[in-house]
Amino acid sequence: MQQVIAQTPEDSLQRRVRLAPRSRWPDALVRVFVKACGGFVLATTLLLIGFLARTGLVGMKEVGIWPLLFGSRWKPEDQLYGGLPLVLGTFVSALGAAVIGATPAVLAAVWLTEFAPAPVRSSYRRLMEIAAAVPSVVYGWLALVHLVPLIGTLAHAIYGADSDVGGEGLASSAVLLGVMIAPTVLLLSVDALARVPHNLREASAALGASPWQTAFQVVMPHAWRGLLVAVFFGFARAAGETMAVQMVIGGARVIPANLFRPTTTISSQIVMDMQNARPGTPGNNALFSMALILLVVSVAVVLVMRTLSRPQVRG
Amino acid sequence: MKHSTAVDSLRRGRSRERLLKGLLGAASMSLALTYVVALAHLILRGGAKLVSFTSYAYPVSDIEGEGVMRFVVAACVFGAVAWGASLIARALLERLYGSDRRVNTVSQLFVASVALLGALLLRDRLPRFLVSFPSETTAGGGVGPEMFNTIYFAVLSTTFTLPIGVGAAVYLARFARSPRYVSALRTALDTLASLPSIVYGLFGFLVFVVEMKAGYSLFAGAFVLSLLNLPLVVGVTEESLHAVPRELEDASLALGATQVETVRHVTLPYAWPGILSALVLSIGRVFAESAPLIMTAGTTVSRTNAYSLSPFRGGETLAVHLWYVNSSGLSPDKADVSAGTAAVLIALIALTNMLAARLALYGGALGSRLTKATR
Repeated sequence: MQQVIAQTPEDSLQRRVRLAPRSRWPDALVRVFVKACGGFVLATTLLLIGFLARTGLVGMKEVGIWPLLFGSRWKPEDQLYGGLPLVLGTFVSALGAAVIGATPAVLAAVWLTEFAPAPVRSSYRRLMEIAAAVPSVVYGWLALVHLVPLIGTLAHAIYGADSDVGGEGLASSAVLLGVMIAPTVLLLSVDALARVPHNLREASAALGASPWQTAFQVVMPHAWRGLLVAVFFGFARAAGETMAVQMVIGGARVIPANLFRPTTTISSQIVMDMQNARPGTPGNNALFSMALILLVVSVAVVLVMRTLSRPQVRG
Repeated sequence: MKHSTAVDSLRRGRSRERLLKGLLGAASMSLALTYVVALAHLILRGGAKLVSFTSYAYPVSDIEGEGVMRFVVAACVFGAVAWGASLIARALLERLYGSDRRVNTVSQLFVASVALLGALLLRDRLPRFLVSFPSETTAGGGVGPEMFNTIYFAVLSTTFTLPIGVGAAVYLARFARSPRYVSALRTALDTLASLPSIVYGLFGFLVFVVEMKAGYSLFAGAFVLSLLNLPLVVGVTEESLHAVPRELEDASLALGATQVETVRHVTLPYAWPGILSALVLSIGRVFAESAPLIMTAGTTVSRTNAYSLSPFRGGETLAVHLWYVNSSGLSPDKADVSAGTAAVLIALIALTNMLAARLALYGGALGSRLTKATR
């Protein structure tokens, strides 16, 4: 073996060349291919927005944007396309999820990075990675079986035993979405807190601050952009969630009197109605208009998130 | 006097902080407990459904491809069990005798042979739930076709996502020349990343079902899912391309390799674990996603072509099935079926992650060989 290697310089060069053979990919072709991949992404994005906007704008023209956003009844059978119940349902349950799920997640992330012992830290992270990988439909099913009866009992305890309330409604969907987004928000927050330079913590300790003061008056304020991006991300995911919410929200197309009455959201109404409405009818077009509103809002959220997170990346 | 009050207040503050810290810790642990309970419930309840061998008279159906499918499922099930056993045995052996290269070979042989033997001999003794057909109205439905579709979707959408995603990432990380094109591309990717999955579903519905009148198909579903995954795959791949040490590429260029050859032989092998983790994340989303699939691939499976490899037929996945059973299913045992479906789904996701961890090791070996070569 030793002899084979130790030969003339030409030989060892020969070996090198054989180890890394000349690529048979022509340079120009590869360059064109990778650029075309980028072009494909661009083209499909434009196509996606174009297709949705075309159908959605037809719907907006037919119904009018005012009723689509603020009309109070959604009843395609009677040509009523009031989108307020849908918009409210989406917004309230996502906001509830941000309060119920994202707040504890951020606080737990602070505890995890600043106070938790190392073995707890790694296994906690592992658990949250697993929980974040669980499909949302599975959370939806668990909520349908266990959470909805529980919330129903709670509702009857609040409003009296024979009042017209139940487990299906905004309360259930907010709790479900909160449980669903918490792991993701927590993981993102942990990353944001871990990016805070360590010498800030040391400086704070050297000034006599306790670990608690350091965590809440130095580390958290420094990482606020990252934390906000994490919460925004959770909010966007909660607002876009479809099937899991559809399972627990009840599906009534009205503005609910309280948090324990059935209502609906934009995305779950789209899935439910799309199976009945024929393409080209006003009912179908109105659904695309709602989807277009969802698209515009989520793009706006992303633009906000991008401006928030950009300086963070540069630092 | 002054001094003692200061110390006192400090002490009082400290005990309050200790209390708050304890409360925060307890709250965090109870948050974790929620997920532990949920996962334990899933595993126990679903596992009970999976191993219940009630009335196992095998229905010899005439659906094309069912025999092959049973063979594959048996190989996967027994292979996974053997793999788990071999991991435990290896951990024990290594603790007792230290590591040995032969242990690796033996355990690989063991896993392969158990999988093959199980597939050959025991493929008709599988848990009925895993291989039988779903049933709308009667008890005892299974998830055989759903499992097949779920895995097939993962394969199909990966064949779209891998070349395009990696290509776009390579372009952005190495070949980008025009800043305007790049910023347009980044905006497009950010937009795609922000869209709720239902919007993708509507797009797929418009293009494939309404415009092309092709009906529900796996192809449409896989296309939509790969669009959904593109921003993720491009982002993670680009990050791992940026993590490749500059010296390695410079060395390759200095040896006379062109930029394309450098990317092919140095950059991509080094970034392989990162690309792989991007793919695993995207496969996880394929397994989990339901809304876009309902609108592009439908909510049913057909008895005539349930196991056909043609991508131009409709078919539901496990996630869609889980939703469908609970929202419009009429079978009396839908709680059981849901538990089993959820458990199979989780098991598939776990298996994908474990497999990817193995694959990343091999890729990592390539990377480390490169590092050694330049040292």
